[in-house]
Amino acid sequence: MRKSRAAYPLTWRVMDMLEAIAARLWPARFARALPYLMLAPAVLLVGILVLGLVQIGDSSLRVLDTSTFLMSEDYTLANYQRALTESFFATVAGRSLLGSVIVTVITLILAFPYAYLMVRTPSSALRNVLLVALFLPFFIGQVVRAYGWLIILGNQGMVNEALGLVGVPPMRLLYNYPAVLFGLIQYMLPFAVLMLAPALTAIPAELEAAASSLGANWLGTFRHVVLPLARPGLVGAGLVVVTLSLTDFAIPAILGGGSQDFIANAIYDQFFRTSDQGMGATLSLLLVAVGSLLVGLVFMLFGAGTLAMTGERK
Amino acid sequence: MSHDKFLTTEIRRRTLLASMAAVGASATLGTGKAFAQEPEKPAEIIVRAWGGSWVDSLKAGVSDSFTKATGIAVRHDLTEDNEIQPKVWAAVAQGRVPPIHINWDTTTNATKSALRGVTEDLSDLPNLKNTTELAKPVGLDGYPIVNTYGYVYVLAYRPSAFPNGAPKSWKDLLDPKLKGRIALYNDGIGFHFPAQVAGGGKLEDIPANMQPAWDFIAKIKEQQPLLGEDPDFTTWFQKGEIDAACTISTNAREAKKNGIELAWVVPEEGAKFDTDGLWIPKGLPENELYWAKQYINHALTKEAQQVWLDGLGLPGVVPGLTPPADLVGDPSYPTTEEDFKHLIRISSKVQVENESQWFAKFKEIMQG
Repeated sequence: MRKSRAAYPLTWRVMDMLEAIAARLWPARFARALPYLMLAPAVLLVGILVLGLVQIGDSSLRVLDTSTFLMSEDYTLANYQRALTESFFATVAGRSLLGSVIVTVITLILAFPYAYLMVRTPSSALRNVLLVALFLPFFIGQVVRAYGWLIILGNQGMVNEALGLVGVPPMRLLYNYPAVLFGLIQYMLPFAVLMLAPALTAIPAELEAAASSLGANWLGTFRHVVLPLARPGLVGAGLVVVTLSLTDFAIPAILGGGSQDFIANAIYDQFFRTSDQGMGATLSLLLVAVGSLLVGLVFMLFGAGTLAMTGERK
Repeated sequence: MSHDKFLTTEIRRRTLLASMAAVGASATLGTGKAFAQEPEKPAEIIVRAWGGSWVDSLKAGVSDSFTKATGIAVRHDLTEDNEIQPKVWAAVAQGRVPPIHINWDTTTNATKSALRGVTEDLSDLPNLKNTTELAKPVGLDGYPIVNTYGYVYVLAYRPSAFPNGAPKSWKDLLDPKLKGRIALYNDGIGFHFPAQVAGGGKLEDIPANMQPAWDFIAKIKEQQPLLGEDPDFTTWFQKGEIDAACTISTNAREAKKNGIELAWVVPEEGAKFDTDGLWIPKGLPENELYWAKQYINHALTKEAQQVWLDGLGLPGVVPGLTPPADLVGDPSYPTTEEDFKHLIRISSKVQVENESQWFAKFKEIMQG
């Protein structure tokens, strides 16, 4: 008697076959190893990064011989000594660190109400507008955005033209430290909002209503309910913004007018202008170290926020 | 490891001998004559170049006529000179074929590559015999680089910002009305040597004592200069951001051609004169090395130099070139001994050996 096709469809047979192949390739007794297998790509990626760091570490211990433009055979700490004693590197490092902290604080202050409004607004139209405004900059690269500011804030730019209409003479709005910080804040704002929004979404609106019904005014509710519960988002957003700002290259290069270098610019100069790979490697490692210390300090003081691995909310 | 090195040396020697024989057989290009010993032609030759009017001039003067004569296409790679350098160095160190056939480079940068030993020897180019002394790199043995023209770091200025006449001295940049309105290269290139004179020092003291230069640069820092690269100067002049800059005359001339109100002078302290050149990285296949050499040989013909350097507005290394009409008698286009008296030329070797320190010092002052 002929079997009914409907009784055992072809798709089931295919699935059975695939399952059989999978069972042969990855027997059930290997099941416990599956999580480790899934980790393999990440381990491989991190391994490559570590290998790169080892090579950079090796380069950092060699000095450039300017008679042959080759790195020295012998190891020395001379590059580290230069990096830690020459005032130029201290100036650039100080500017980068201070800048990243200022950018982080201002960005969080600006991002918080934006994210809060985006999450809490009952108007879907407003939420969509805020979302579009948030994502639009992601389609425009950092360099293009920085050049956009050159057009807007230049001596003959839109802002100065507008000021000219009310009798204010053109003023230099670009090529200084505030211009660099401004550019960084504008660049970092979407990152911060994106990190904050999930944390704010996780705060039940009923809690705010309860605080209000118990007599808390808006400020009290914000201070004692919203802000503490939003801390994981603030920490996560802060970590992302501070590390991206600290290591940024394009904004200081374009909006700084050449006199507001951050550490990344100094690293570029060593690798590509003076051909001193040793010094460039040294500065790179010091930047990694300072960035890691900063992040470690935040972890110790405030926890890992939304970047925490445990899923535990602090 | 040592075996590999030995093999590489052998190949290089064979390559060199073959190239010498082939290049020697054809003194010039453009005759349309095919030589029996000519190696196989590659589909293309890759020449690293600067963008804008720089590459346009190279294409018009050298590349197009090379392609016409040989049938080999020329691709211009516009990777920055500083960024191609580590790529070429890494390729040579790892025994790979380099990413370009010819590097159009500043002589200072090229000298670093020559000192590192990654450049092919070009002493056998037939057209070298027709060149002036300027073609020979100073302080290096043979021709690891062939200089192809010279250029001057002039003081370019906006005439309307100098109503009392053109600036005469680099010290004129210290005028308070120019605060925030001047620009220099971001590594100080072109400015160190005139600053040494403007600061009361002597050129003979370079590199031993450059304190006068640093003192003058520190005064310039008080003027809050913008620091940038070639394209920045044009943009800044165009957008009204600056009124004066120390820049290569070619950039100033190009900006003027584009309608920007601009003029330039060689101030009384003098202006830095330097050269650019062409070189070939080691590691090319034999036939490609041959044709790369032919390209450089072609760049040294009078016809190619005339068109190429008309575009750049720069003096070449072949006698008898005619200056562009707008640069006749211009101090940025030196042709006579008298013209060169106002220019400052320091050997590439001294520059290369001290560049890192000068760069660090300049940055220390400007970033402080």
